[in-house]
Amino acid sequence: MIFAVLSLTAGAIVGYLCNVTIPGEYSKLFSVALLAGFDAIFGGLKAVSLNNFDNINFLLGFFLNTILAVFMVFIGDNLSIELYYVVLFVFALRIFKNLSYLRHHLIRK
Amino acid sequence: MLSRKYNRISIILACFLLGFMLAIQFHSTQNSLKYSTQYQRTEELSQRLLATEKERDSLKKQNQKYTQDKNGGLTDAQIIEAGASEVSGPGLVVTVEDSSKKTATDENANLYIIHDEDMLRIINELRAAGAEAISINGQRVVATTEIRCAGPTVSVNNERSAPPFVIKAIGDADTLENAMKMRGGVIDTLSVWGIKIDIAKKTQILLPAYSKGVDFKYTELVEKGGEK
Repeated sequence: MIFAVLSLTAGAIVGYLCNVTIPGEYSKLFSVALLAGFDAIFGGLKAVSLNNFDNINFLLGFFLNTILAVFMVFIGDNLSIELYYVVLFVFALRIFKNLSYLRHHLIRK
Repeated sequence: MLSRKYNRISIILACFLLGFMLAIQFHSTQNSLKYSTQYQRTEELSQRLLATEKERDSLKKQNQKYTQDKNGGLTDAQIIEAGASEVSGPGLVVTVEDSSKKTATDENANLYIIHDEDMLRIINELRAAGAEAISINGQRVVATTEIRCAGPTVSVNNERSAPPFVIKAIGDADTLENAMKMRGGVIDTLSVWGIKIDIAKKTQILLPAYSKGVDFKYTELVEKGGEK
């Protein structure tokens, strides 16, 4: 848990110092990818707390979820279906769920 | 044990990647905000506002400076004579109206209406009696003022007005009144034709300032003692 937060901070610092920017038209896709990543991380942490963490599953979930989310939004944009909001909704819901589970677990511990 | 280590590494890796993405997203959002047209417009407008405010302040300062020496070295007498300001004081209000007498068929109707010459006579008489400031129907009479026939109206300061004419004069009210009522004077002559002239003495009259711009194109000042 602590390692996760620390590495997150480190990544943020490195990213900030890199001074890389994404063009405006891709920022929508990127934000969805970000949310998917968060979902995967929280899911992973939940699995760790449940002691059924699977490394391969976690890494695959992280990348595949992200790519799938981006792909969905991309397709939706091209078909002029607002899949962006759907993806946001689903991932936000899942993040909240995982977070609440983690909270329960931490309090119980 | 080994797999747990890998687990930790993979989580750390993912978190690191996520943090990296987060920072990049944050950065680019900030940037896109800066370069969006709305932001630029706001920037531009605020810049212009700043410039305008600066200009306003400097103009305010200038205005203050000018109002401090507003009279520009002119004496009160000069200002009154030039008609540059509203003036007030005791005086006489003369109201002149066309005759209501019926014209005899063989007589000239022109005799029964007010002419610029009559007005000039009245003004002249008032001046002779010491009127200090005069206005005709709200037009201040200054050095360049004309009183001229303009069809059925009289033009003063290039503003036409029709009877009744209200002539206001600041000065000694009694003297002015006496000058008007003098035997063989203005009222005497004009009343023959039925032209109505009312005279009212007032303790307080307000005369407007000369409203036309003063712009001398041909006249130039000559330094005192320069050319004789």
